Amino acid sequence: MKFHLIAAKDMKILIRDRNALIFMFIMPMVIISVAGLALGGTFEDNIRIDVLVVDLDNKHLSKEFVQFLEDIDILDIDMESNEFAARDRVKNKEYGRLVIFPLGFTESIMAGQDTELLIISDPSKDSQNTVLEKIIEGYANQMSTYVVTIKTVTAYGVPTYDQEKVFDIIKVVDRFIFPPPVAVVTQSSTTDRKDFSPFIQYVPGFAVMFLLFTCVEAGSVSLLKEQESGTLRRLVTAPISRSEIIGGKIAGIFIRGFIQLSVLLLFGQVAFDLDLGSSLAAIIILIAAVTLAGTGLGMLVAVLVKTKDQASPVSNMLIMTMSAIGGSWWPLYIEPEFMQSIAHFTITAWAMDGFYELLIFDTGVSGIREEVGVLLLMSVVFFWIATIRFKFE
Amino acid sequence: MTEALINDVIISIEKVVKRYNGFTAVDEISFNIKRGEIFGLLGPNGAGKSTLISILCCLFTQDSGKITIDGFDNIKDSIRIKNVIGVVPQEISLYSTLTARENLAFYGKIYGLSKMALHSRIEILLDMVGLTERADDMIQGFSGGMKRRINIAAALLHNPKILFMDEPTTGVDPQSRKRIYDTIVDLNKQGMSVLFTTHQMEDAQKLCHRIGIVDKGQLIALDTLTGLLELTGESDLIHVEAKDIPPNAVESIRKIETVKQVSIDTDSMTIQLLKGRELLVNIIDILTSEGAKVESINIKEPDLETLFLHLTGTKLRS
Repeated sequence: MKFHLIAAKDMKILIRDRNALIFMFIMPMVIISVAGLALGGTFEDNIRIDVLVVDLDNKHLSKEFVQFLEDIDILDIDMESNEFAARDRVKNKEYGRLVIFPLGFTESIMAGQDTELLIISDPSKDSQNTVLEKIIEGYANQMSTYVVTIKTVTAYGVPTYDQEKVFDIIKVVDRFIFPPPVAVVTQSSTTDRKDFSPFIQYVPGFAVMFLLFTCVEAGSVSLLKEQESGTLRRLVTAPISRSEIIGGKIAGIFIRGFIQLSVLLLFGQVAFDLDLGSSLAAIIILIAAVTLAGTGLGMLVAVLVKTKDQASPVSNMLIMTMSAIGGSWWPLYIEPEFMQSIAHFTITAWAMDGFYELLIFDTGVSGIREEVGVLLLMSVVFFWIATIRFKFE
Repeated sequence: MTEALINDVIISIEKVVKRYNGFTAVDEISFNIKRGEIFGLLGPNGAGKSTLISILCCLFTQDSGKITIDGFDNIKDSIRIKNVIGVVPQEISLYSTLTARENLAFYGKIYGLSKMALHSRIEILLDMVGLTERADDMIQGFSGGMKRRINIAAALLHNPKILFMDEPTTGVDPQSRKRIYDTIVDLNKQGMSVLFTTHQMEDAQKLCHRIGIVDKGQLIALDTLTGLLELTGESDLIHVEAKDIPPNAVESIRKIETVKQVSIDTDSMTIQLLKGRELLVNIIDILTSEGAKVESINIKEPDLETLFLHLTGTKLRS
């Protein structure tokens, strides 16, 4: 077998090409760093819920409630003393939500009487409203517990006008309700989910994009260059089979892509503490599958265009489209559902799905079977068409 | 060459046909090449030379006809043939960012040479093409002629019995051309058979034991240089450089009894005729009287150019 001679020759040519090395390694590292650091907040703290509060009660329990809301990071709390003005501001969409503490709120609770909090919200921002409602419901449940307790002790003859006694009872209640006696424990069907760091998006995202530049653009150009310069003709007239020649070219492109993707992921791990998951085998299998699919696409481009000058623009158009819709530049889940479906015709989307499985959920090999399967299927289809159409003459 | 070598056929081509999309590039060509022979295939661009040499190099197969090379059938035994042939393609088929030595090492390994054999063979070939001093320089820094020389060396690493060269002197300076001629002659002296295609008469005249002339996919003549030139008889070739040659002048010249062929280009005219020297004055008279602005005129002895014009009615480089 002599295919390794061709692969080794291609690696030697690559090592001599300083511009190619910069494009393969330095440029993606810079872009990952800039994107991750500059746009880091996009995926971490992007939910900000503005809330206007009218505290008509202005006593200690309503004040504690407002303080509780102000202490929550994702809520932007502004106070308004005039209820009518506040309602107008929400109506005019100046604020998305309004919370009104009624007059006598604290007094009612302390007397063991029912009371209510009013939330007025813009229905167009449903998900943010739900978040606010859940927060307020949680704190209101605590207050409800006070009311129930006071009602209960009153039923047993403790007078509610004895404020000191009521405070003592509430203190006791507080001791029992934190932590809540009936806890709800949620478990993911997969292993533990990690926080979504921007580098979980940008390291594999840009690494896959630049891998495609290596495998699809540089790969197709390298093959067409052999055709156009006559080196392929010379190889065909030498005692080496055509399958070894093509195998050598594929191996050369695959090796450079595999090294590039591995180095860029390691860079993410070292520079930005990116957790690549606990399974080395899984990450290697995924890198290999993505690289193989990219190499196959490079071969396909090489046989579909006529010259190496055509290969670059065609490859660039394919790569940029795949990167945009496939999730290299932003998470796939922010795209509309139909775009997510279209995206799954691309290498990028399946690659990113696989990396999310490993980097966020640490699912190991079993979690990426579907992604690897689809990528390998793509590789087979690409290589099959390319081999049929490839012309050595 | 010894008589024994000359009579031993190393390449046999019988009624070979190759068509592309209905166009017949090689049309029932038959001839033999003898062991130890330098054989030139001469013809204009598009005559079918490169197609024929590509078939002989096992780059692709013929549609019909039979070819044997060193006793092997080109369709059934292509791998064996590849071990006995060396191919110098028309293009500079080298890797420009590898050095001359690295290019030769790569191709040598493809031919399965051992490390030791490869090392010594590379040194010998670099010396032969006169580029030992530049062995460790990248090809991209070489002149066209130097690249051509390494291009030839890359075909000789496995010491082939037969060397195929497709237009080996295209675009080279006179110094490199001479070096290439010397290399071919040296290789032939060592017993190597050489088949090369060219549209340069000088190549064929200086190097070839025999010359085959190809036009429009057919072999229209095959002989030694002397034998071919005899076909032209006593013909001379008059070449006229002139602006605005009027059609009437061409017609008048064609009517001269001893004129065999007249070929017209944009600003020149080539006339094949008998007794050229005697008729030179007449021809100048006709051209000037018809208003042609004659810039130069010269008369040539019979050569392959004359022969090609004689055989095809067109100039070789047209």
